[in-house]
Amino acid sequence: MAQQQQHVLLSPAELAYLHSSLSLTPPIRPDGRSATQFRPLSAETGILPGTNGSARVCFADGTEAIVGVKAEIERTKRRWDDDGVYRENAQQHQEQEGEGKEGEGQEGSGDWVELTVEIPGLRDDDSGTAFLGRMLGEALLADGGFVGRLRVNRRFHWKVFLDILLISPPLSYPLPLLSLTTHLALLATRLPKLKSEGDEDPFFDDDWAAARYLYARDPVTKKVVERPPVTLLVMAVGGNIIFDPSKEELAVADVALAVSIGDDATATKTKEDEMEVDSSSGRNLKLLSIRTVDPPSRLTPPGVANAANSAYGHAQVVNTAATQKMPEARQTESEAVEGVWKPPRGGAKASVMGALVQKVLVKGGVADEVLDALEGVDTS
Amino acid sequence: MPITILPPKQTPQPSLPPHDIDSDSDSSSSNGGADLSLSPPSRKSHNNNNNNPLFTNLVTPGTLITPDPQWMRGHGTYIPPSHPHTIFSSLAGITTRTNKLISVTPLRSRYTPEVGDLVVGRIIEVQAKRWKVDINSTTLASLPLSAINLPGGILRKRTETDELQIRTFFSEGDLLVAEVQSLFQDGAAVLHTRSLKYGKLRNGLFVAVSGQSGGSGVVRSRRQVWTMEGRNGGGKMDVILGVNGYVWISKHVETIAKELEQKHMGITNMEENVSAGVYSSQNDGIDGGTMREMARLRGVVVALVENGCRVDEDMILRGYEEACEMALMMGEGGVEDVYLGGERGEELVRGLRGR
Repeated sequence: MAQQQQHVLLSPAELAYLHSSLSLTPPIRPDGRSATQFRPLSAETGILPGTNGSARVCFADGTEAIVGVKAEIERTKRRWDDDGVYRENAQQHQEQEGEGKEGEGQEGSGDWVELTVEIPGLRDDDSGTAFLGRMLGEALLADGGFVGRLRVNRRFHWKVFLDILLISPPLSYPLPLLSLTTHLALLATRLPKLKSEGDEDPFFDDDWAAARYLYARDPVTKKVVERPPVTLLVMAVGGNIIFDPSKEELAVADVALAVSIGDDATATKTKEDEMEVDSSSGRNLKLLSIRTVDPPSRLTPPGVANAANSAYGHAQVVNTAATQKMPEARQTESEAVEGVWKPPRGGAKASVMGALVQKVLVKGGVADEVLDALEGVDTS
Repeated sequence: MPITILPPKQTPQPSLPPHDIDSDSDSSSSNGGADLSLSPPSRKSHNNNNNNPLFTNLVTPGTLITPDPQWMRGHGTYIPPSHPHTIFSSLAGITTRTNKLISVTPLRSRYTPEVGDLVVGRIIEVQAKRWKVDINSTTLASLPLSAINLPGGILRKRTETDELQIRTFFSEGDLLVAEVQSLFQDGAAVLHTRSLKYGKLRNGLFVAVSGQSGGSGVVRSRRQVWTMEGRNGGGKMDVILGVNGYVWISKHVETIAKELEQKHMGITNMEENVSAGVYSSQNDGIDGGTMREMARLRGVVVALVENGCRVDEDMILRGYEEACEMALMMGEGGVEDVYLGGERGEELVRGLRGR
């Protein structure tokens, strides 16, 4: 659970209004979007010339994120159970043997990716920032294929540094924005073409034009075949499931989930062998990770019903003895009254969680369309 | 389509008018041949694009405005000791000239309170005898306990009980509408809510837009508060445009008239009756149609600000009409479709300007 870093200050009356308008069917969101609609955003890639891949995404309200990906060659540490440790002096011998163990060598380690998130006004070791970083990194590593891409040969690998920067102060929970930007930056990431062969010291082609994409493209159509994961923020309020919530909406959420989805490339590949399917319809969504995000709604002050409000009504100069003793006693929890805000209590129901994940993963649903839209961005 | 990803907008290039020399002639005569040398030097004259001063007079902090000693420096400019007579900008904004005085009006600024302004604020802090209120100014405004209408009808003196119960009137996060009563030396405002028009806000939604920045945002106008009829089955709505750029849109509740009617009371007792609900934080029942129209109205306000229009009663009323028509014409769900973000907002403002 992550503590919401920016405390939203909303009055109980506002919260009650938001909750009731979002609970209608269909929900009426304060900015008029439909339940599955995202805020319109503008995106571009390749903005930082010094990086292997970069992207920038902006919302209309001025929220802006930049992600830069830098890659460095690094010597692979041998694991203790790797037989290479025992034959450090017999390197030559091992290399000759190495050819047969190609499959085993595909695995990498999570240390090969270093991910830093920076949010203005917050410390690097702030719990919220750290949680965001872990969530984004987790999605990337859960799909075991990512570190496999970074392998150069048995002795060397790429170390990837992902610098995720939020440029503007966080006007809403920045997870979807950062995730979309990271996705685009990784799509645009290119690594120099390897010239050396086998396990010799790596030697790369100087020609940047010959560099290969980290995520492979179709050689003919230049379309993206494999994709990095994307994390979506979904919340439930009343009986409604709402995507890409703004800060106000999140403040009345019953449950908020960060759902990471990836594209199961292997499954798509086997299918493509069988039949020539268009890549968008043949997408095979895979759930990578789910995290619950602690919605700030739990910390909001409860509203006071008129019946319990000592400042309501006429003859308030004469107070009851109880309220005079404890003027703040009204803050205690009361029964739900229509039009009075009551923060959600207790955990999320399993059925609600199931419905949230279902809604994300359903074929032709939101996640599919988000990936489609991200594909439309020019990443070359 | 749940998501739209657009390529970034190109920075608008200042378009030079075709008759460069002609449009210049009046300005060069008015400042007696002395021209402001604006950097970058490619811009021949500061005034060659009269209809769009934004592109020609735009300066950033540290921009050299003029090395000419005949000009006087005004707000938003400075003269460094190393370069006497040379005026630099200290803000990001637009240069303006008043006779020989050069000043820079910032593109975005916080609200500067003035006595008599109607503001919408949010309680940030509760102190022993006063509240601290965020009104989008550089400092928090203060609202003393003595400057509110205490419940209990008659105007009475505040008591110790009131001090102890300060949170029952306003607590942290509460929204209120108030008037600026006076100003401190440092520009901090003191508010009061001693009127039936002012007090705690409920039954609606809040939107913060920047006030008075580069031509967009809320401007001081004749009417800051009005009631309007909701279309498409929505009820009456109240709009409060705080001068500080905070806007409150709520369902119209006929408290005064209704209560008077029911109890057949005179106008003298009005205060007593109305004050009953002043500190309530319980919303009245609001129907879906009204909620939808309120969301549409909020969309209009946000679209106006995002597209650089001023926000006042006239613009909002026209924008709302336009938005209702747009929803009928191009919305996927007819009047149900209240979305006015992105391209639709631009379309809306284009429609308003076209008229």
